[in-house]
Amino acid sequence: MVKRLVPAAVVVAAGALAAPEPAAAHGLVGRADLPIPEWLFGWAAAVVLIVSFAGLALLWQEPRLEGRKSFRPLPDGLSFTLVNTATEVFAGVVGVGLLALTIYAGLAGVQSPQANFAPTFIYVIFWVGLVPLSVLFGDVFRAFNPWRAIARGAGWLTARVRGPLPAPFRYPERLGRWPAAIGLLGFAWMELAYANGDDPSTLAVAALVYTAITLLAIACFGTEKWMSRGEAFSVYFNLFSRISAVEVRDGRVGLRPPLEALTRLTPVAGTIPLLVVMIGTVAFDGASEGKPWTDVAPDIQDFFTSLGFSLGTALELTFTVGMLIGLAIVASIYLLGIAGVRTVDRRPFGEIARSYVHTLVPIAAVYVLAHYFSLLVYNGQAMAYLASDPLGEGSDLFGTADATIDYGVLGATAIWYVQVGVLVAGHVCGLILAHDRALAMYQKARAATTSQYWMLAVMVAFTTGGLFLLSQANQ
Amino acid sequence: MQSRTARALIAVAALVAVVVLFVVLAGGDDDGGGETTTQAQPATGTTAPATGTEPEPEPAEEAVPRIVVEGGEPRGGVERLSFDSGERVRFVVRSDVADEVHVHGYDVSRDVPAGGSVRFGFPASIEGVFEVELEGRGVQIAELRVSP
Repeated sequence: MVKRLVPAAVVVAAGALAAPEPAAAHGLVGRADLPIPEWLFGWAAAVVLIVSFAGLALLWQEPRLEGRKSFRPLPDGLSFTLVNTATEVFAGVVGVGLLALTIYAGLAGVQSPQANFAPTFIYVIFWVGLVPLSVLFGDVFRAFNPWRAIARGAGWLTARVRGPLPAPFRYPERLGRWPAAIGLLGFAWMELAYANGDDPSTLAVAALVYTAITLLAIACFGTEKWMSRGEAFSVYFNLFSRISAVEVRDGRVGLRPPLEALTRLTPVAGTIPLLVVMIGTVAFDGASEGKPWTDVAPDIQDFFTSLGFSLGTALELTFTVGMLIGLAIVASIYLLGIAGVRTVDRRPFGEIARSYVHTLVPIAAVYVLAHYFSLLVYNGQAMAYLASDPLGEGSDLFGTADATIDYGVLGATAIWYVQVGVLVAGHVCGLILAHDRALAMYQKARAATTSQYWMLAVMVAFTTGGLFLLSQANQ
Repeated sequence: MQSRTARALIAVAALVAVVVLFVVLAGGDDDGGGETTTQAQPATGTTAPATGTEPEPEPAEEAVPRIVVEGGEPRGGVERLSFDSGERVRFVVRSDVADEVHVHGYDVSRDVPAGGSVRFGFPASIEGVFEVELEGRGVQIAELRVSP
């Protein structure tokens, strides 16, 4: 991932210029994935096509997910053991503690991405690790969300002192999920384009700033409102948790059909941009390891240096441009598909586009999983020594400070199969959602079918595109 | 759902997809042909020790790849060192500056004196792509690639 895999020439050039502090040019990752071999790419793509067309013929004829209000609560005792005031407070305290530790380690610890707790915790455990957890176990982040915990704690205190405190402003509904989309874009930019994005103190300052903004927005619009619309990570992980069969409803843990919660997603303004950011930034991160990008990147960088930017700034601008290209490509694929759907659906373009946007959530999830799986498996192990020595200054709190990353736990072949497997699984989920939505929306089976071709084309484009990126990475 | 036009469309889409796939695969073949070429034998898997198109290690001395560092930079850019899993990784770094050469992932480090060279040899036990770096300068000098 990230800046390690910048085209060699660019690295050398930038390195030469940034020479005074070489230690910072390090990055988090010591190992990168091998590209998936051609035979596997071929087989996977073939499977995707067969599954798609078989699905068209075989999938159900009545909506199965839409409007299905089945929620089966777990037995009282089990539900209560999992969710009660004590566990809620405990999870909140853990969340706040981890945020505080991350900020403290980032500011006070050694300024090395691998030896400091902050970068690995933020980029690997939080950003990537919570994705599979959300997909499997539901909205885990909501329980541990430090900002929500702080806000609820403060709300509880003020309520005791001066009675309930309503939010002073109404959230402007036309903003929808735009704040979350912008927040995620900023985070992705820091990870993928910003030269100091691995820098512990930079990350700590970013976390502080984000905390301040979030608490301010909560104070203005209320906790739950901001969590469901503006707080980037709440919105992000909540989307993934909608794939899961686990839900906490009115304080009770229960089960629902997997994917069903996605059909209940309200596609307010900014939801499509949010999904485009989610898919496009990961796609760019994948593409930036491959030849198509490494061929053009130096030219873009030259262009920026010719405008008078320093090499370092030009490199950041180059990656920013690349990221925006990634977003543009993802957006066009989706919108082209929607333009196709319009041939059978006469509603306004935006309305149709919003009514299918939930089908992109599984695609976004599997892009993250396929692309960052090895990062999670390998760099996640760094938590063993980072937990014992979060500042990187030689402490050994749990006796694990000498642990190292065992790169032998998984071979390249296993990683390939996981990558390809999740991409195909995401493809199937997207297809199911699109199919179900079409059945629910169109009375005429024929319109439903025709709209399907277009959504199918969108899914095939994203999935084979994802496979293609995996086959090009580090080629 | 299965009207005739629908089926025709499906057939056309499938055809297009297959053609695109073929073109992509064929295209990939061309530029992949350069150096590594662990050619796509479907799933001979990890078992056999190298279908090795390049019988590299045996005659020792000559065949060992050499990386030359000049002024703290690799001459000719970052070079790729490709091995199959189970082989022995061997290469030599020759440098005009003193530094520590670090192979990431394997975590093997050796010092190289200014104007001297250092020889590496260890089993290729971890698959993946790894950086070989001048640790002190933080400059990547080669890329180690171990394929299954």
